[in-house]
Amino acid sequence: MGAIVPYPPPRARQEWTAYLGMVIFLGSWAMMFGALFFAYGMVRARATAWPPPDLPELPLLLPGLNTLVLAASSAALQLAVHWLRSGKLPRVGPALGASLALGAVFLALQMVTWSSLWDEGLNPSGGPYPSVFYALTCFHAVHVLVGVGALAWLCRCAFLGKYSAARFLPVRLWALYWHFVGAVWGVMYLTIYVV
Amino acid sequence: MDLQHIHPEPTSFVRKHIFSTDHKVIAKQFLWAGLLFLAFGGALAMLIRWQWAFPGEPVPVVGPMLFQNSGGAITPSSYNAIFTMHGLIMIFFAITPIMIGAFGNFCIPLMIGARDMAFPTLNMLSFWTFVVSQLLVIVSFFVQLGSAAAGWTTYAPLSTQVGTPGLGQTLVVAAVFVTGVATIMGGINYVTTVVRLRAPGMTYMRMPATVWGLWLTAILNVLFVPVLGSAALLLILDRQFGTQFYIAGSSAVRGGGDPILFQHLFWIFGHPEVYILILPPWGFVTDLVSFFARKPAYWYKGSVMAMTAVSVLSAVVYGHHMFVTGMNPMLGQSFMTLTLIISVPAELLFLNWLHTIWKGSIRLTVPMLFALGTIFVFGLGGLTGLFLGTISTDLYLHDTMFVVGHFHLTMAAAAFLGSFAAIYFWFPKMFGRNMNQSLGKWHFWFSAIFITLVFCGQLVAGYAGHQRRLFDPYQYTFLQHLQPLNRWTSYFGFILAASQVTFVVNFFQSVFAGTKAEQNPWEIGTLEWTLPSPPVHHNFDVIPQVHRGPHEFSNPEVKKTLGRDWIGQDEELPKTGKAPAAPAAAAS
Repeated sequence: MGAIVPYPPPRARQEWTAYLGMVIFLGSWAMMFGALFFAYGMVRARATAWPPPDLPELPLLLPGLNTLVLAASSAALQLAVHWLRSGKLPRVGPALGASLALGAVFLALQMVTWSSLWDEGLNPSGGPYPSVFYALTCFHAVHVLVGVGALAWLCRCAFLGKYSAARFLPVRLWALYWHFVGAVWGVMYLTIYVV
Repeated sequence: MDLQHIHPEPTSFVRKHIFSTDHKVIAKQFLWAGLLFLAFGGALAMLIRWQWAFPGEPVPVVGPMLFQNSGGAITPSSYNAIFTMHGLIMIFFAITPIMIGAFGNFCIPLMIGARDMAFPTLNMLSFWTFVVSQLLVIVSFFVQLGSAAAGWTTYAPLSTQVGTPGLGQTLVVAAVFVTGVATIMGGINYVTTVVRLRAPGMTYMRMPATVWGLWLTAILNVLFVPVLGSAALLLILDRQFGTQFYIAGSSAVRGGGDPILFQHLFWIFGHPEVYILILPPWGFVTDLVSFFARKPAYWYKGSVMAMTAVSVLSAVVYGHHMFVTGMNPMLGQSFMTLTLIISVPAELLFLNWLHTIWKGSIRLTVPMLFALGTIFVFGLGGLTGLFLGTISTDLYLHDTMFVVGHFHLTMAAAAFLGSFAAIYFWFPKMFGRNMNQSLGKWHFWFSAIFITLVFCGQLVAGYAGHQRRLFDPYQYTFLQHLQPLNRWTSYFGFILAASQVTFVVNFFQSVFAGTKAEQNPWEIGTLEWTLPSPPVHHNFDVIPQVHRGPHEFSNPEVKKTLGRDWIGQDEELPKTGKAPAAPAAAAS
């Protein structure tokens, strides 16, 4: 064998590859959520009454507030990406911290929603209506939980000074994920709570 | 995430052979895991065949051990688990890992001139996630009430707690979910690798058809396995957490879930899955017939377009599995039309293969034989599919052994023979040793002949009205006369299984004591054959510059200057006055 010739593509190209991988992953996951919404649509189309007369209606206010919370969290994360790109590094840590805190607030408010509805007698075995509600929101919350974990890690790295204007790929990738989770929540709020 | 970076070769045993990130090692891991479960699934198939030949009689040799309480005969509940797990194991834990896990991993980077996958660590995680799912399957056999027993399609409400209350069903549904995650991880890797890591000059229209087949498969996997994931997730929630997605009419006031919902989700995934299992063999066959007919693949672009068209169409035909669910006839008609349209690109592909072989100087090597066998059984399977895609005939044939025969010829026989074509073809590159060709030929003739006979026997039985999945068909007087036919089919099945010993012996002997393989034993020009057998850890010392497509055979210009009938994709033709006429490809 001859000498090994390195073949390092430029960093931008490598980052593009990682970015593409993330986009494909999220596309795949969109199909997963899409299938869940399909299931929702189908059982709802069959139902005679939605919600059934003896079950509590879903609240609009608290989840609506939560939609704003998640949107604000996404915005904070996008600001962090923006400041990383423009080199305003001292602002990045606090922005990530805000994003993380808002994500945690979202989870806490979800807990409140679940527990109050549970107390009102809504539990998964009460038919398709609560089944859809609990299955979709819980599955989504798992994704928020993963995101919050990732944001905590990003936050730590930012405060340790690991990112620079040239090197912040993990923040970009997780931002993409976080926006996706936020968008899914938006659809969920509109279809499950509002309509 | 340093792409195309030379990772230092790991030295510890664990990093080198177990938690390896090298796509070639992971390919071998998938191959071993898949072959093991192929044998397992095959053994279950033999039990089913025994039951249909001699219902109620003790199974020889293994019976007294497996079915102690019934004196060695298969009981109805064991039978349900056996045919369910045969299907699930073959599809998700045998054919998928062999074709996509092993050859997707092995072929893609080597054939496009990359040093590894785009995400090597994700690749390793994909394999070990897959192992977890296999373990779940194994464990499911040892819990109370046994393994999953609701049929491989896992239709609700049979698959809910109402129909199969055991833990085994839950474990298997979880295993399907987990293996789906592993498949998606692999799919992300394959899609990204093909898009980003092709060597310079390796345009899309210069990629070997194998890579095209595997790439389209990966795209379908990434898009549609998640839908199966959702179906499985909701089923697990129904089974373990009391939700009611699939249980109908649970309460008059509150309405109920819908068992048909499961069928929709399952087949939205399930029909692309059929093509997920056949696209890789199509790719192998398109390449192999060209390689061994020593001719350029006939209308290579047409084959690529046909495969792409089938992939797209596969997403919009799933309703043909549900003609008898009370579907709106208008909808049924649309699904029928779309389904039958698939036969156009499939036929085009088929004609291209025949055209490639036509007047070629055919070398009947073992991989070529298996490729021809794949064409033959796929042809039979495709033709029988027309009767099932057409509503009027499907209403009669639905849920009969005709369906079983049809999808076994396409998904099982064609995938089986196609996998072996790939194994015999790439074995020298994978393991650096040669397989025994005459044992291989014995393996081929027995496999091809008896696999055809087995599944044609099923077609005939189904046409006579034999319903699928019956525990004892001969309880029905109108099926009693089919027992001799089914017995013969079973004998053919037993011979098919027994003849696989030729492969097992050949495989082990060749892995451990085969003669050393040359660099390019088949004399072909794709990139992996420019490397030593087996390739070094980083594949390519120098990333090759690709000049032409993969099927450059019997070019008179090459013959004159190089004195051989093939030229490497990365080989520059020595200048002899006239420039080589490598047509520039359209896409880049």
